[in-house]
Amino acid sequence: MNEPTVFIVDDDQAVARSLRWLIESVRLRVETYASAQAFIDGYDAARPGCLVLDVRMPGMSGIELQERLAAQRIRIPIIFITGHGDVQMAVRAVQAGAFDFVEKPFNDQDLLDRIQRAIARDGECRDRDLHQARLRTLFASLTPREREVLELVVDGLSNKAVANALGLSAKTVEVHRAKVMEKMHARSVSDLVKMAMQRQAWD
Amino acid sequence: MLPASDMLWLALVVLGGSLAAVLIVLGVVLARLRDTERRLDEKESRHESVLDRLQENEYRLRTIIESEPECVKLQAEDGTVLEINPAGLRLVDANQPADIIGRKIFSVVAPEYIDIYRENMRRVFAGEAMVYEFRAITLKNRVAWMETHAAPLRDARGNIYALLGITRDITEHKQAEEQARRHQTELARVARLSTMGEMATGIAHELNQPLSAIANFSRGCIRRLRGGGMSPVELIEPLEEVCEQAERAGDILRHVRDFVRKSEPRLKPMDVNQIVRAVVKFTEHEARQQRTLVRLHLDPQLPKVAADAIMIEQVMVNLVRNAIEAMSEANSARREIAIHSRLFGADSVEIEIVDSGPGIDGNLIDQVFDQFFTTKPEGVGMGLAISRSIIESHGGTVRAESSRDGGAILRFTLKISPQQSNRRERADSIHS
Repeated sequence: MNEPTVFIVDDDQAVARSLRWLIESVRLRVETYASAQAFIDGYDAARPGCLVLDVRMPGMSGIELQERLAAQRIRIPIIFITGHGDVQMAVRAVQAGAFDFVEKPFNDQDLLDRIQRAIARDGECRDRDLHQARLRTLFASLTPREREVLELVVDGLSNKAVANALGLSAKTVEVHRAKVMEKMHARSVSDLVKMAMQRQAWD
Repeated sequence: MLPASDMLWLALVVLGGSLAAVLIVLGVVLARLRDTERRLDEKESRHESVLDRLQENEYRLRTIIESEPECVKLQAEDGTVLEINPAGLRLVDANQPADIIGRKIFSVVAPEYIDIYRENMRRVFAGEAMVYEFRAITLKNRVAWMETHAAPLRDARGNIYALLGITRDITEHKQAEEQARRHQTELARVARLSTMGEMATGIAHELNQPLSAIANFSRGCIRRLRGGGMSPVELIEPLEEVCEQAERAGDILRHVRDFVRKSEPRLKPMDVNQIVRAVVKFTEHEARQQRTLVRLHLDPQLPKVAADAIMIEQVMVNLVRNAIEAMSEANSARREIAIHSRLFGADSVEIEIVDSGPGIDGNLIDQVFDQFFTTKPEGVGMGLAISRSIIESHGGTVRAESSRDGGAILRFTLKISPQQSNRRERADSIHS
């Protein structure tokens, strides 16, 4: 399940089969869907990879599928394949958050490179998401008092200053601080600072 | 007859035997006779004045009808013309009333309108007032469009005994209408010519599908072969796919060709110079916009060619537009297109379109008529390919070359219409 998959959505079955044949030549896993709806119905957002989409499709267009996925906060990278004269449409799609586009007829290496980059990006995003989720759980495990101590420590205050600020004894602050380090799986104060910054950046 | 009282008097006189009495009686009788006569006279004169008035009325009506500038006529139920005024006589080219009165109106109605005319008459005799148009062929075989306002005429008891028709010649009006309609068709044709470019874009889009499938299948094969460890048997399936997609592309092109030539061109004897002039008119606007001068060098003596005028117009509009675009893209200082028409060999006419643009690269001359060959950034390269297919379906040829001055020359030939060449041969044999 963790192996990245290239999801191809193209109403032209011959084109979809040919893309599968080409992409499988670099030993990537490929799944094809004949319509945007079929993809939405069958896709599990937990599956990594990227989406290769034809801009023009009967029924739900590639652009509409992009909007639907965005509305559901599904952030799988999308590579649009555009036909003659659809470049403007593709540019708008990229502005709306698509990963990239290639114009038909395309160079195979070009497409494969973009697919690899998209998969790499997707992996990074998923790692980050995972890390973020982990941090969130860790922070959630702290008591309100431990959180107060953490915030002041991260601000660079000494144990004594923290004790003064919170009206606690230095000894009590020392205990809280050790507890925070343990719960957050931090080896040093600088680890804690990094985690706090990441949390601020994402929240 | 004498009244009974006078008889009594007479009897008395006879009985009395008196001469004087007889005279008196005679005087009385005479007086009475005179009185009666006077009264009869009065009655008669009254009758006469009514008749006079009636005659006056009829005369007045007649004068009005006879001087009426439009045709007024009466027709019987079977179509017999009962009466017609002088304007009516003129309308049907009759010299005298007897030419048409007593004859059936159908003798001046065009054959294809007789049934319609008969039906309209039936409705008027059923009590309806109507307006109808028909094509007339006059007694002197002149063809004219007529419009008749018809109403039923009833006698004192209310029975319809005639059709009163007022007819006028609407030929000029009809011609104006026809001209407007023809103008509309011309506009539609121009619109179709400009959609040829749009159609080409659609075709390009269609063709992209099988072409990219072929490329993907082939490249997938090459990558696997390069990577090694692939048995030839595994290549069969993707190669079959390649063949299938190549056939699909071929089918698309075949459909295009069928669409363009709509099976076979409908060849008719056409004046090729007339087609050239029409094309110049169609492209006038673009030429003016691009400051391009179009000169015609047409041989007025040319025989007619066998051509589907619309298709040849498409070809020529395409060639002229190409020339205009080439010169404007190259930003040529002198922008001129010369169109020549001339006899070519024994059985053909040649049209030549010369521009003052950058010409055609010598290496590319053989490719310009190929599908998808284009030098334009937005072009799809179908115009000249379609043009060639049209000319070849007419039995002609098309060639391109660069002129000595650097511009491009495009020439195509059309076969002289067989009817024309027969006529020429006959004319030749008469001379010899």
